Amino acid sequence: MTLLTEEIRALVGRRRVYTAPEELGAAACRYFGLAIGDDNPLYSDAEYARAQGLAGVTAPPTLICETNQYTGLPISPDGDGGHNWGIEIAGTRKVRGGNSYVFHRRIRPDDVVTAAWEITDAAEKTTRSGAEMLIITSRATYTDQHDELLAENEETIIFVSLEAGA
Amino acid sequence: MTHEPGEVIPPLERRIGLADMVAYAGATWDWYRLHYDSEFVARQKVPAPVVDGQVFGALLVEQIQDWLGPRCFVCELDFTFKSLVFAEETVRCEGTVSEAGDDFLVLSQRVVVVGADGGVDRVAAGPARARVLLGVADGPGAGLGGADGPEAR
Repeated sequence: MTLLTEEIRALVGRRRVYTAPEELGAAACRYFGLAIGDDNPLYSDAEYARAQGLAGVTAPPTLICETNQYTGLPISPDGDGGHNWGIEIAGTRKVRGGNSYVFHRRIRPDDVVTAAWEITDAAEKTTRSGAEMLIITSRATYTDQHDELLAENEETIIFVSLEAGA
Repeated sequence: MTHEPGEVIPPLERRIGLADMVAYAGATWDWYRLHYDSEFVARQKVPAPVVDGQVFGALLVEQIQDWLGPRCFVCELDFTFKSLVFAEETVRCEGTVSEAGDDFLVLSQRVVVVGADGGVDRVAAGPARARVLLGVADGPGAGLGGADGPEAR
C-alpha cells in the first residue's frame, strides 16, 4: 500500500496565511521566557536590552515559530487550536520529524506578525524495519507589518504505517 | 574570546514539571491535551503528559545565549526529534563547537533525558545544529528598519 497517493501529492503547494490582529506585545515575550525558565534580561529589562544596542526588550527567538496565539482557529476537542493541515491517514502513527529555523532579526513587541505556511513536499520512504512512511514537509515564513522577513521555519511531519514491518 | 572546534558548550539542565508545561501551553496558546490532561494521555497509551517538542528549540537557544552572552545572534537552528519526554523528567542540552570563524560559530548540539545516575537515559532531540553570529546582539534583518525599526528612530 502506498501512502503517497494522488490526494496527498495534490496537497503540495497548499497555503495558509495567518496575520496577528495586534502587535506581539512585551508581556507575550516575557511570559514565554518565564514558561521555558529562561531569565535572560533581553526579554524583560528594556534598559539592559538598550545597553546591548537593541531598541528594547525582545522575544525569545523561537516564540515567533509558535503561531497558535493568532491563528484565530477554534480549539478542537483534543485541545489543538493552532495551524494544522488536517491530514489524517488511517493505519498510521503521526510523529514530528524536526524543525529547521532561520532567524533574520530579533522579534520586538511592536511587531505584527504574519505567518504564511505552505506544504512544500510529500515523499515516501521505508523505515529500517520495513514500514512505509510518508514525510510531509511544510515551510512557514514570518513577516512583519512592513513585509520584512523575520524568520523561516521548515518542519516535517511523518506518518508511519502500522502494518507489518512497522 | 576565541573559540576552537571541539570546545564544549556549558550544558544547560532543566527539570520540566507539569506546571512548566501548562505555562508553556498558555504562553503559546497550545492547549493540545497530550501536554497536560492525564485522562487524554492515558487514552493515547503514553505513560505521562508529553513535553511540547518546541520547548527543546527554546532550550537550545537558551544554552547558546547563556554561554555567549547578549552579543550573539542565533541565525540558524535545526533539530530532529528522537524520543518523547514526559512531565517531571530532566533534560540536558549538550553541545560542542564544530566550526569557528572570526564572526560566527557552528555548533553541534543535542537534548538528552537525564537518567537517575546523571547519565544519558535517551536522546530527546538530536542531532541539532546552530549557526551563531558573534559580536552582534541582533540579526542582519535588524538593519533593514521599517517605519518602526531602529534605524527609523
